[in-house]
Amino acid sequence: MADIIQKKLQTEVEKYQQIQKDLSKCMSARQKLEAQLTENNIVKEELDLLDSQNLVYKLIGPVLVKQDLEEAKGTVGKRLEYINGEIKRYETQMKEMEKRSERHREVLAGLQQEYQKSQGKVPVKV
Amino acid sequence: MAERNKRKNLHPQEVSRLREEQVKVVTGCQDQIQHWKKVQSDYEALQQRLSTLPDKLSYDIMVPFGPLAFMPGKLVHTNEVTVLLGDNWFAKCSAKQASNLVEHRKKHVKTALDDLYKVMKDFEARVGFTEDLEKQSSEKGDFVDIIEEVENEEILTKGKQRTAHKPYSRPKNQDVFECGEGDPKATSRILSEEELWARLDELETQEELLDQKDLMSYSGDTNGDDTTSSSSEEEKEHPSGNLPCLHGEEDSRLITCQVNGNGQHHSDDEDDEGSCVPTIYFTHTVEPKRVRINTGKNTTLKFSERKEEAKRKRKNSNGNGHSVPGLTKIKTPADLYRLFVDVVNGELVPRKSILKSRSREDSMCSDTSESSDDRRGFCRNLSHDESTHSDTSEGVLQEDENSPSKPLPLPGVFEAFSGTVVEKDPTQPSFIPHLTIVSPALPTIPERKVEEVVPQVQKELCKKVSKFKAARMQQQI
Repeated sequence: MADIIQKKLQTEVEKYQQIQKDLSKCMSARQKLEAQLTENNIVKEELDLLDSQNLVYKLIGPVLVKQDLEEAKGTVGKRLEYINGEIKRYETQMKEMEKRSERHREVLAGLQQEYQKSQGKVPVKV
Repeated sequence: MAERNKRKNLHPQEVSRLREEQVKVVTGCQDQIQHWKKVQSDYEALQQRLSTLPDKLSYDIMVPFGPLAFMPGKLVHTNEVTVLLGDNWFAKCSAKQASNLVEHRKKHVKTALDDLYKVMKDFEARVGFTEDLEKQSSEKGDFVDIIEEVENEEILTKGKQRTAHKPYSRPKNQDVFECGEGDPKATSRILSEEELWARLDELETQEELLDQKDLMSYSGDTNGDDTTSSSSEEEKEHPSGNLPCLHGEEDSRLITCQVNGNGQHHSDDEDDEGSCVPTIYFTHTVEPKRVRINTGKNTTLKFSERKEEAKRKRKNSNGNGHSVPGLTKIKTPADLYRLFVDVVNGELVPRKSILKSRSREDSMCSDTSESSDDRRGFCRNLSHDESTHSDTSEGVLQEDENSPSKPLPLPGVFEAFSGTVVEKDPTQPSFIPHLTIVSPALPTIPERKVEEVVPQVQKELCKKVSKFKAARMQQQI
């Protein structure tokens, strides 16, 4: 009886740990996205400061490719929107994972109690 | 005191831990601030450079080749600057435009720095507070913690903590169990709550039936029967939820029952009244003794008073040293008289009533004469001062009520009555007054009183010429 509970406990613990890892991954991804967000914001603002006479280049690999200012602005804008969407997605994912981890935590607690009870009973029986 | 020390011991640990965390945050903030300050200074230098760069068309410089080599060279197109906007975006702009961009970036840096400064300030303040707390918790600081230990919290509250009453809650059964534990008889009859209630209802109906029966015909039950029935009822009552007071009462009740049998109108009802929850009263006494209390009204003795009377009676009997060891067993009311007797002139005379002649009529110990009356003690309780006896008229009335009781042959058991007098005229079972005394929860068992009264009546009838009664009659007239 105690062994079964122990196994259950172990599987539950593993699941819980997995969920925790996923959660932390989500967290780090979100932080990266946030950094990109701020950067792109600055780029956008600085592009607004420039006029059409300036030449805008995009670094693609080792090559600087000439870009139109307006085109650049559009591209940056799109990138910003994309980043925002990604952040939202990650947020919902994180919430979902948190709920799951909470459920797992409860299950774990219950299993632990059972285990302790069985542990308490066994020595008495013996 | 140990707890206090324990508290103090915990405090420094916790406080130091808190302080550590806060200090960490502060140092982190400081590092960040350093970083941003550097960035800011770099930007300012850049701005400086950009402002001076377009002054000349070209500059002669030493161009770095790798980490160790330099080459003499020229810096041209001094006004064209390629600016990294971020995220792999470049822009070619003039020096002035570049410096504008730099200015714009500097704004960002400034906001970041301001935020960091705020956080640092906040946490520095927190650190200060925790340091103060640390000082306070330790006794080395100038601050002293004034703590008042409250030993017994109940002292503050005037009453017990009240818990809300649940609706339809029954009287607590724990009392029942306490009673049951004390009474060996009761323990044998521990019933479930529902059973107890059912039993109670049964007994109630029984009482009602008996009342009706008694009304119809006064059976000549002996006191012994009454007592036994009463005692049995007592037993029954115990598991049915009598309060523990009942248990204590049992003795007094038994005694009183017997006394009632003797003619004392100690009503068990009254005893039962005193007990809280509806219990049975098995009142052997026919009528409630109309006790004249100070109020002067036709009030009946309260339960407590009866009990006190019983107690006092017992005490008196014991005090006199008359508690005959051999006769301590009281089986009939007559035994009581045997117990509570005085030795006068070598004779055993029943106790003298302490009441005045007039008052006797009202009280149970209606000893008009000065012959002893066991109820003297009760009478005392009943009528505290002579003024109370002013209501003798009422007592008289009661007597009248009692008088019409049917005469029944007295059993030989009540020999004790030969000398003593049973006050309350047992002639008539005074249902009405008795009922008033009885606790409203349950109907009284008037029949019992009747039964008890009846024997008394019988006795009286047999000894019609008891002087007491005669005196009473006189007064009635």
